[in-house]
Amino acid sequence: MSWFRITLHRSAIGLPERTRGVLAALGLRRRSQVVFHPVSPQFAGMIMKVKELVRVEEVARPLSRAEVKAERTPERGFWLERRGTGGLEAGKEGEKVGEL
Amino acid sequence: MSRALLRSVLELRPAVPRPIASPRILPATQIRALQTQTPRQFNPTAQFVDPQPRPSQLPEQSTSSLSSSSQREPPKQKPNPPRVRLPTTPPEITPQKLDPSVKSLLPLLAAQPAHYITIHIHGRPYLVTEGDAVRLPFLMPDVQPGDVLRLNRASTLGSRDFTLKGSPWVDERLFECRAVVTGTEQEPVRVMIKKKRRCRRKKHVFSQHRYTTLTISEVKVVTEVPEDA
Repeated sequence: MSWFRITLHRSAIGLPERTRGVLAALGLRRRSQVVFHPVSPQFAGMIMKVKELVRVEEVARPLSRAEVKAERTPERGFWLERRGTGGLEAGKEGEKVGEL
Repeated sequence: MSRALLRSVLELRPAVPRPIASPRILPATQIRALQTQTPRQFNPTAQFVDPQPRPSQLPEQSTSSLSSSSQREPPKQKPNPPRVRLPTTPPEITPQKLDPSVKSLLPLLAAQPAHYITIHIHGRPYLVTEGDAVRLPFLMPDVQPGDVLRLNRASTLGSRDFTLKGSPWVDERLFECRAVVTGTEQEPVRVMIKKKRRCRRKKHVFSQHRYTTLTISEVKVVTEVPEDA
């Protein structure tokens, strides 16, 4: 079973109530929001109504909210290799604490 | 802000009057020079704050130091677990084939020391070389001064004559880049004035952010490329 991945690309501000109703039925509230719907004639017709506003892809499975967010988040780019035990700064800090 | 400032002033106080307390030994000109020099050493814009006392422990520490100054007890440090735990193991990578040009030119790049590298931390690029100090635009959780970070995302790696460009990233196996956490830096207080029209009321909103500082301790090009690559 395949799914539509629908992204609202253009805002519906100033458009007729009917068009905004279609977007609401698709579950699209704000720009660049992503929703997934199964490929079926009903959803295809809804997409056709707002085809000027959305970008559609066909995907194998729907992604969860966390997965969609992970797509947008840049990579961390580092990992903690070693804890500073007895390092230069850590040693100084320890001495200070002892003096107090 | 006031608490940190008060603490720094309290720490400074015993150090400052020392030169003034011995006026018989020093001539007046030298004393004046010392007096004029001492304020210069205080840098109000960039302060280094100890990251050891967490905000929840600050009041306890200050009261204990004030009340029991004669009894020198080491303050109890409760390990306050941070909300975010940094990974301590390298992320899994899927080995990919290296371009033959990379294999042939990598020894030449490695032979030219003083390499530069564009590392990416949370998607932001930092063009650095060994020994550089980096002030990150955020306070990194779960790190203490002296911790060693391994930086594994780079978009360029180069020397005077050669540059290895990643698309979008340079292969992780081709370089080793490490950074040491050096401390925390505090910015001057920002004051934002909130004002509505036709109303005299003004609200001052203060904010003061802290930033983690790093020093790039190692930038190395790895020449022993694994056979499967």
